Amino acid sequence: MSTEAIAPPRPGPPLRALLRPVVGPLVAIVIATLVGAALVAALGQNPIEVYSTLIEGGIVGWPNLSVALQMTTPLIFTGLAVAVSFHAGLWNIGAEGQMLVGALAAGIVGYAVPLPPVLHVPACLIAAAFGGLLWASVPALLRVYLNVNELVICLMMNPIALLATGFVATHALKAPGPTNKLPDILDSAVLPNFSLFSQLNAGIFIALACCVAVAIVNAMTVRGFEWRIMGLSPRFAYYGGVNVRRNAVAVMLISGAIAGLGGAEQVLGVYKAFYDNFSPGYGFDGIAVAMLANSNPIGVLFAAFLFGALSAGSGVLQMMTGVSKYLVQVLQFIIVLVLAAQFSFAWLFGRKPAKPSARVSVARSVEERTGTEKVG
Amino acid sequence: MISEIAFSAIRISTPLIFAALGGLLTFQAGILNIALDGFMIVAAFASIGVAFATESLLLGVLAGVASSMVLAALLALFNLRFRAHIFIAGIAVTFMAYGLTALLLKGVLNEEGVFSSDRIPTFAPIDIPVIRDIPVIGALISGHTLLVYIAYLCVPVVAWCLYRTRWGLRVRVVGEAEDAAAAAGVNVERLKFETMLLSGLFCGLAGAYLSLGYVSLFAKQMTNERGLIALAAIFFAKGNPYWTAAVALLFGTATALSIRLPQLTGLAPQLLQLIPYVVTVLSLIIVGIRNTRARHRHGVWRFEI
Repeated sequence: MSTEAIAPPRPGPPLRALLRPVVGPLVAIVIATLVGAALVAALGQNPIEVYSTLIEGGIVGWPNLSVALQMTTPLIFTGLAVAVSFHAGLWNIGAEGQMLVGALAAGIVGYAVPLPPVLHVPACLIAAAFGGLLWASVPALLRVYLNVNELVICLMMNPIALLATGFVATHALKAPGPTNKLPDILDSAVLPNFSLFSQLNAGIFIALACCVAVAIVNAMTVRGFEWRIMGLSPRFAYYGGVNVRRNAVAVMLISGAIAGLGGAEQVLGVYKAFYDNFSPGYGFDGIAVAMLANSNPIGVLFAAFLFGALSAGSGVLQMMTGVSKYLVQVLQFIIVLVLAAQFSFAWLFGRKPAKPSARVSVARSVEERTGTEKVG
Repeated sequence: MISEIAFSAIRISTPLIFAALGGLLTFQAGILNIALDGFMIVAAFASIGVAFATESLLLGVLAGVASSMVLAALLALFNLRFRAHIFIAGIAVTFMAYGLTALLLKGVLNEEGVFSSDRIPTFAPIDIPVIRDIPVIGALISGHTLLVYIAYLCVPVVAWCLYRTRWGLRVRVVGEAEDAAAAAGVNVERLKFETMLLSGLFCGLAGAYLSLGYVSLFAKQMTNERGLIALAAIFFAKGNPYWTAAVALLFGTATALSIRLPQLTGLAPQLLQLIPYVVTVLSLIIVGIRNTRARHRHGVWRFEI
């Protein structure tokens, strides 16, 4: 998303101002729904039936809802991690790797360090946050001090994390038995589960707390203000006296730590051990969540719940009909694609859209669009 | 034993080289195309689907290439026309492609994870008459299938197009200095669109090779991040076709070793699979240090590379 996407709100009727941030996501959801319906129809299924199964399987009844909330929890963490970085104009797409490393750290502390219950869970969480932070420090430091594109580094750090944690889980610290996992965590490290129907656990409260904390920091502190300015225009922030480098490192590290906590929730709450390759791509789903939430920490909650419910519903969908659960993944990334495009919704507000050929903005947007210049 | 590994390294590197050539063209034009995996998976699916339906390899490969190019056009449309950030659009396209192929795998071919069938024809290995008889090299080079040879022959062709034609010069100028190219009257958007379509073409061949070239099989997410490895090769070689192909071959060899060595030595396969990514990160660090030293240091942090 370029800086142009986040135009400062202009004075206008309050209803319009309220509606504006919601319009883009809603349009994207509608487009994705229509494309998905066409796909389903092309596969010879009834779209209405499929969608109603999806919604029913996602949220109707406590068993389904608790599965949806269980799926929502990791998405809140990764979505928030990505959102924090997007908000400050940085592109942390390495949440997947940071989450895996955090999960590994939590898994190791969870089984290897005997502690009383009151201390054990916090110790695991701190270890996980530190693991994610460590993994994020590579792209962060390279970005800030060597001017290396953090997107490419993040992209490469994801498989490195997967393979490295895989090595630990399959060789270095493998639990005895056929499964590639670490030994089970001790009972003192388990996050309490409060649903019979799913692995929904106390981690969701940690996720909520993180969202609220980020929202408060963004809205009420100088730091949050500085991050927002950096996201809008790093150059302006620099001339305005913001220490852009230090703040950028801080944002990336915080982002990594949040992703790492997401890994801890999975290990301590859901799996009760670190399993090799446990994540079905939560880190990448986090990008979708952050895009849909427009990098707003409270918006992340809603976006994560939408995708979590869809993903819970997709399991039911696959059982009940012949449609694969991957329908949801398609919908999810159509939404991302549409949101990434800078369609102008200005006509909705009775203004003429800006001409895309305005020469002034071309040079700058070219830099942004191409993502990188050649290295070296 | 060693020649066997070398033979399979050449084979395993084939999709990497195709994908790297595809990514390289957009890289030269200043777009970092991270949707190589997405293009490949769609092509792999379309290839095997059509080859299954028509029992024709040619139609299968053509379908793969066509579908991959359609996806490339979609990405180019969103990037160039709707100004979507290339990385976000690329990730979206890739994961959409993963999801779509898994969805269609279930919906059309009615399989959950893996599809394969006896009806699908296979490529015949080609014995090259003279080369076959050269002692060591002959056994390595001869006896591959058609697409393998096409991949390696495409390398000089791409290099020639980039460095010896007017079109290639324009592509490189667009990559180096877009504004200068635009000022000189080059249609930048069109050129980028063309490189993206060619990227789709090469990834289409890569995908077709994945599903039809060696074993006739489609598995969901079967590209196994080959696009990312190809991208790593491009970065490491700074976009030069020959070097990129050489690095891709190197990474392919590492992959071949990671399949064979653990059986012999008990070494963890992950450690060898790590090589392409770690090497890329290290090379980016070195390039970064060099650039930072070389650049006259302004106070302003260049936020927009």
